[in-house]
Amino acid sequence: SGELYCSLPNPRNVHFESINMKNVLHWSAPEGTGDGVLYKVKYSVYGVGKWIRKPECRNINRTWCDLSNETFDYEEQYYASVKAFLNGMCSDWMETTRFNPLTDTKIDPPMVNVSSTEKSISILLTAPEKWKRSPEEESVSLLQVYPGLQYNISVLKKKTKKRWWFSVSNNTLVVPWLEPGTAYCVSAQIQVTTPLLHSGFSKEYCVATLKDK
Amino acid sequence: SVTEIRSGFTAIKANIQARDPIRTLSILSHPHSLHKVKLLDRCCITHQLFNFYVDKVFKHCKTEDSFVNRKISSIANSFLIVKRKLGQCQEQNKCLCGQESAEKYKQILANYEGLNVTSAAIKSLGELDILLDWVEKSG
Repeated sequence: SGELYCSLPNPRNVHFESINMKNVLHWSAPEGTGDGVLYKVKYSVYGVGKWIRKPECRNINRTWCDLSNETFDYEEQYYASVKAFLNGMCSDWMETTRFNPLTDTKIDPPMVNVSSTEKSISILLTAPEKWKRSPEEESVSLLQVYPGLQYNISVLKKKTKKRWWFSVSNNTLVVPWLEPGTAYCVSAQIQVTTPLLHSGFSKEYCVATLKDK
Repeated sequence: SVTEIRSGFTAIKANIQARDPIRTLSILSHPHSLHKVKLLDRCCITHQLFNFYVDKVFKHCKTEDSFVNRKISSIANSFLIVKRKLGQCQEQNKCLCGQESAEKYKQILANYEGLNVTSAAIKSLGELDILLDWVEKSG
């Protein structure tokens, strides 16, 4: 297969970067090699006996490979491996640690919608969707993947800089007894208790309560 | 306790899994995945698996790393607590064992006995997240 002499330095830091279960393999080029290095990638399901080549990531010069499709089943765990080639020389196969999509993915912040009345604001939160293979595929909310998912919400009264914190399991929250004609800013985070995962906070969404009639 | 087990395991997961070079075999997930177990059999299999870890796994997982050893013993203690609770369920006939759970457990034991004791114990310990993912999903 054209692999002559495997003394090329190895690809480094081979690891999965996963967001909402979009699972992309990343690595760094072998030390001291300039341009011209090509790579190939294979992966395996933990507990199953064979490595599977990824044709779309054969003889590529980039240092990432999207394996979301191959690691779609989050009830399985995976390994992936990369080999480098340059001028007829090659490196060893360099593997990831065992990748568990369920516990090793990062979660985006929730979408936040805020509306107001005179003395209250209503907050509607939407959890991100799990990565899907095609736009036509039915969407799966991360809420379905992580039944214990809940939201941490911060509400800031801009005028006084007073902040309240809430933790809710359902996706709506009404904050009553507020001051009319006043700006409030809302930011929210997702928290999963087991496995222990949390998103960053969303950006702030500000709304003003209606003025007194 | 399951949350404590999860956080204890997360702290040593990379270390323990790195000690298991066998990619092609699994104790819990192949050839038959835990995730295919029927609702009726879940309690019994959970109880059997907690017994399995207490009786066959933790005692064979000594490492040269004192931090890892401390985490393993705290996980083992949490397992004992959960095991006792499940034992009470079984005494009250709320955790019945049927044919499927017997078959499933037999498969897991066969996987375990297919390796030497230390390798099998370390592999089982490295698969704790497979067990926890399944237990938490089953609710």
